[in-house]
Amino acid sequence: MATSRQPGDDPSPLGSLGRSAGPATLILSSLADGAKHGYALTKDIEAFAGVRLAPGTLYEALSRLEGQGLIEALASDDRRRPYRLTAAGAEALHAHLQAQRHVADVGLRRLAGSWGVA
Amino acid sequence: MTAAGDAPAPAPGSLERQTRRLLRWYPGSWRERYGEEFAELLLAELAEQPRAWRRTVNVARCGITARLAAAGLAGPPASTAGARASLGTLTCSLAVFLTFGTAMWAQLAVGWQWAPPATTATAVAMLVMSGSLLLLAVLALLAAVPVGWVAITAGFRQQARGLRAPALLTGAASLVLVVGGRHFGNGWPGTGGHWWPHQGLAPGGIAAFGWASTLSVTSYWAHAAALASFPPAEVAWMAASPAALLSLATGAVRLVRRLELSPRVLAYETRIGRAAAAGMTAFLAGALCWVTQAGPGPHGLFRTGDIDAAGLAVMAAALATGWLAISRARPIPPVRAAGHQ
Repeated sequence: MATSRQPGDDPSPLGSLGRSAGPATLILSSLADGAKHGYALTKDIEAFAGVRLAPGTLYEALSRLEGQGLIEALASDDRRRPYRLTAAGAEALHAHLQAQRHVADVGLRRLAGSWGVA
Repeated sequence: MTAAGDAPAPAPGSLERQTRRLLRWYPGSWRERYGEEFAELLLAELAEQPRAWRRTVNVARCGITARLAAAGLAGPPASTAGARASLGTLTCSLAVFLTFGTAMWAQLAVGWQWAPPATTATAVAMLVMSGSLLLLAVLALLAAVPVGWVAITAGFRQQARGLRAPALLTGAASLVLVVGGRHFGNGWPGTGGHWWPHQGLAPGGIAAFGWASTLSVTSYWAHAAALASFPPAEVAWMAASPAALLSLATGAVRLVRRLELSPRVLAYETRIGRAAAAGMTAFLAGALCWVTQAGPGPHGLFRTGDIDAAGLAVMAAALATGWLAISRARPIPPVRAAGHQ
């Protein structure tokens, strides 16, 4: 017997991050165009998403993403260590964003049909 | 010069101090890995916005979460290190549980040497507690065999760096407990030297050893006058034995956390851990039955006191921590890329 998916279920690696999935998506999206260190990540995410990740939240998500092999730290001469996306991270982000896009498409289509909101 | 109404800009030294204070929320292992870069981020944030209580709360909350994760009590159980941390925390919980549980059981076992309990509740409680304790002893032995084997083989392969100190601590603490427990157990009237008594559920020698090794779990600490009448050697042992128990638990936990256990051994230890948590639950049910249902019994041998109620509370907390830890001990293989470029 097939079981239906529950709200909040996400079979992708990002889904297993629980409450860190939101910050994780923002971090992976920020790293998608190149390596960045902590402060650069904060600034970039603030610029493209309008969200300022608190330092504790940022590093909580970074350590989990690193533990899952979705990002990796690069060697650095100074104390600021840059991170970059791994192939597994790119794949996980792609799957997660596709799923989000599907939900957004359905929501927008229904809004347009029932409420006339284009 | 600052604009009117603005707070004066903090000096660099004060920012450094503030950063160091914030970093203290995190465990040492986390600071070792992320400390420097996190401090850089905090310095930049503090320079931009010197005072922000939300940031302080955020760092404190995440630091506590990191500490819980380091103990295997929070975060995704995504690595074998996480599973080892969970097993280490279970070992710690078991050590606390057994200290208070053995003190409680030994009181009943020694009492039974003198007279059988008058109520069914005490007899049933004693049966359940004795059975659970026996199960926990067998499980501890089963869990120790592969861990001991891995430790010995690591020693032969010259990979024992970092293992020698916890192994020595565990060995020395065990020796102190065995020698002290035997010495002071033999001094207990009615049980010392009588390994197989004419009555009672447990051999007298084991009951006396359990009593002596947990002599520090007593309400006498709150009665200085009564304590002063004890032989000085016994009071010294009451003060020293918790240090031996603590050293034994610390050494065992460090060994478990530092040993490179294979996934197969980790899975085996996790199964043993789940059975141990079930055994602890059964023991606590027996102890609860005794404390809430049983009467004082003949000569007040089975009377309960505040120390037993406190012991129940400590055991319940240790059991809850143990269940939380063992429920998280599930090593998950790392994510692998499937050819996406």
